Amino acid sequence: MRRVLVPGACLGVLLCACGPLPPRAPEGPYGQGPGTAQPAPGTPAPPAAPNAPAPRQFHLGTAASALVTQAHHQAAGGDYGQAAATLERALRIEPDNPLIWIELGRVRLAENNGLQADAMGRKALALATGDPAAQGAAWRLIADSLRLRGRNVDAAEADRHAAGSAAR
Amino acid sequence: MLAAAALAVLCAALYVLYLDIVVVRQFEGRRWTLPAQVYAAPLELYAGLDLTLPELEGELQRLHYRRAAQLDHPGSYRLQGEHIEVALRPARFADETRAAQLLTINGGAGRILSLRDAADREVPVLRLEPLLIGSIFPIHGEDRIVVAPAEVPPLLPAALKAVEDRKFDTHHGVDPLAMLRAAWVNVRAGQIEQGGSTLTQQLVRSYFLSSRQTLSRKLREAVMAMALDAHFSKADLMNAYINEIFLGQDGDRAIHGFGLASQFYFGKPLGELDLSEVALLVAVVRGPSYYDPRRHPDRALQRRNLVLKIMSEQGVVAPADAVAATRGPLGVTSRPAGAYYPAYLDFVRRTLRRDYHEEDLTKAGLRIYTSLDPRAQQQAESALEHDLDRLDRAHPHPAAPLEGAVVVTAPSSGDVIAIVGGRNVGYDGFDRALDAHRPMGSLVKPFIYLTALESGRYNAATVVQDAPVDVKLASGQHWQPENFTHQVYGAVPLVRALAESLNLATVGIGLDIGLPKIAATLQRFGLAQPPAQVPAMLLGAVDVSPLETAQLFNGLANGGFRTPLRAVRAVISAQGKPLKAFPLEVTQVATPEAIYQLDRMLVLVMDHGTGRAARPLLPAQLLVAGKSGTSSDLRDSWFAGFAGSHLVVVWVGYDNDDPTLLTGSTGALPVWAHIMAQLNATSWTAPMPESLAEVHIEFPTGLRVVPGCAQDIVAVVVPGGAQLPARPGCGFPDTPSGAPASGSLLQRAQQWLHGVVH
Repeated sequence: MRRVLVPGACLGVLLCACGPLPPRAPEGPYGQGPGTAQPAPGTPAPPAAPNAPAPRQFHLGTAASALVTQAHHQAAGGDYGQAAATLERALRIEPDNPLIWIELGRVRLAENNGLQADAMGRKALALATGDPAAQGAAWRLIADSLRLRGRNVDAAEADRHAAGSAAR
Repeated sequence: MLAAAALAVLCAALYVLYLDIVVVRQFEGRRWTLPAQVYAAPLELYAGLDLTLPELEGELQRLHYRRAAQLDHPGSYRLQGEHIEVALRPARFADETRAAQLLTINGGAGRILSLRDAADREVPVLRLEPLLIGSIFPIHGEDRIVVAPAEVPPLLPAALKAVEDRKFDTHHGVDPLAMLRAAWVNVRAGQIEQGGSTLTQQLVRSYFLSSRQTLSRKLREAVMAMALDAHFSKADLMNAYINEIFLGQDGDRAIHGFGLASQFYFGKPLGELDLSEVALLVAVVRGPSYYDPRRHPDRALQRRNLVLKIMSEQGVVAPADAVAATRGPLGVTSRPAGAYYPAYLDFVRRTLRRDYHEEDLTKAGLRIYTSLDPRAQQQAESALEHDLDRLDRAHPHPAAPLEGAVVVTAPSSGDVIAIVGGRNVGYDGFDRALDAHRPMGSLVKPFIYLTALESGRYNAATVVQDAPVDVKLASGQHWQPENFTHQVYGAVPLVRALAESLNLATVGIGLDIGLPKIAATLQRFGLAQPPAQVPAMLLGAVDVSPLETAQLFNGLANGGFRTPLRAVRAVISAQGKPLKAFPLEVTQVATPEAIYQLDRMLVLVMDHGTGRAARPLLPAQLLVAGKSGTSSDLRDSWFAGFAGSHLVVVWVGYDNDDPTLLTGSTGALPVWAHIMAQLNATSWTAPMPESLAEVHIEFPTGLRVVPGCAQDIVAVVVPGGAQLPARPGCGFPDTPSGAPASGSLLQRAQQWLHGVVH
């Protein structure tokens, strides 16, 4: 098993084809720290707005993108163990990126590990708040993992969520 | 008479044959007997990584890269303004090998900006080779790093021959003249003073672990040496000697072979030793304890200089070089090479014992890839040592020094990146991180509050009663716990009860929720043994090790997902075949809604509660969450807390369970903060689930207010639409006032449960 990493050449081409990657959306948990954003006394109270999360779109950074591409090659060759190890490298670089959790879940699905695929989908879903495309992909992964385990009714329900996410 | 003589000759011949078989088998067996080698996590380099060029240089030096003017061979680097050029060595990882290559790393503004290869192409991501952090050797046994002839500097065999065995290349395993000379010296002295053994004889002696010099043993040794000489080439014998010979002792660990001795005394590979360093190792051969360069530097220096003199007389080196080398210091590192982490290796060993026999680990030459981050490990070790020294001076204890343990993890992967088992980090003794099972005290509270949030009957602003508790136990006794301050606080919001770690309020909540539910929460998060369901459980009468505590809190830090803590990522055979992987696994053990509400309360522990003393010790922008823990009579001081990228658990106490006079906030907290501050951690961050809403409440009362309207206001997160009483005249006309609605909370919770429970 000698796979020498020469990322510059071939993967560079793949990445360049996508054009420059936009900077990732800032992922502050809730803006500033609690209690730091207080208006001056006497300011009228702002109406309590429903919590609509700021829309955002997850992207892979350059390093994670190269590793995901490498994992795709490994998975295409049937080497799911290596593909998963490569995706774990990507996750160590961007642990809060739902797209990588979905990729890892897809590898688990290919290995017939529906339980872990489902769990990865739910992890991705928890991180994907505000990104309907990522939420949709996470629900589709959950639906597929449920189907793999013969839970077709639940899978159909997850599919509806996936469609709902995309429609928003 | 003749028959008797013939029988004697036959017996002697058979005995020689027997010795021949024994020694050859030993030699062949030893040749490939090699403890498993354990590697740290490799450093991933990529554009955007927060790493300054000086930090990168430090990482290269940890891997023994040398700064050079020209990059003529792998293992060197040079600084050119805002970039570093590195001639990378070939590297073997768990999943691939990489050839030697040239890499240019551009840095600026405290981070890495780009990586380029020799042809100036962009490299998106690349790993430095993993640091060898130790090996798994038999208990009370031999450790070694086996070196191939190509890795041995030619000076070493030349020096060994000059000093120990001048006729090595020509004799047949023994050197009768040398033996006679030694015998003459010994007879004159009336005791055994000189060996006269060849290198081959020394090798035989080392194989059979006996240094007793009786005549029959000497004879046996001589026969075996001749047998070896007849069967194997001089080059093979020299290489075996270099890998076999005993060169030092480090606690339970016997340092065998020059490969490991070089790391042990100088912290670098054998191939990089200079003349005086080679001479010192050759000096140590004669008596590793008598000439121990750390304990007896004067003797070692004298003998090293004698070795240099002999080398010069024998023409191995030019006299001028020998004289120059004589003038230098010993050059040994103050402590056995930093790359020796007993507590971490202990965890690695225990992980692997489930799957491997002891023999496989100590003999089969496995390569074990771990999650250890050497920088984090070093920071954790020095912070613990430094703070315990300080605490010991402030609270002297007559009998024993304070002890402590630290576990650091990366929450989202479950990687255990550092373990400190005690303040004496180099000592391979009691591993408190794994084996000290202590009451968790208030560290249990987050799990009680999480269970309360999950019940749907509590939120962060819910007012609870901190009031005297009297529980009649099955034994007939009455349990009457108190607050740490011995005061009673009355009506307080949930968030304050947790932030200030109020015992009475917590017991009230816990009894309301029920012990079985709380026990189930602890087990879901990874508590191995079911806790005894007694009321005292609510105040942390649950014994846990620091590692177990890290497992429990890792789920809180990882958005309610449990992931088994891992030290080992993969095991590879000596031939490079993947044998075992420990893949990342996650299990959802709490709803995103409940865990987000809890984590936000744990953030307030740091800003408003028992963790606030950490604030000045941490970077101003770093958002962290955590909880202090103190067991009864101040016997255990805990702090467990996390940022986005790291979870750190610290325990401080006495081995004999004496009271410490320390709370979680005065003992473990400063250690925790000093470690967290150095880890380059990212802030805690999690997207707020859509069904939740952020509201402002008065911290002492829990009444809803608008920002700026009262003195002590905090932002908490509650389910959308939750009804909160408002402080009259403070922004809200109606009482109670609803939190921003989400409407579909119940529906969402049902959907979620449906997905998880099935």
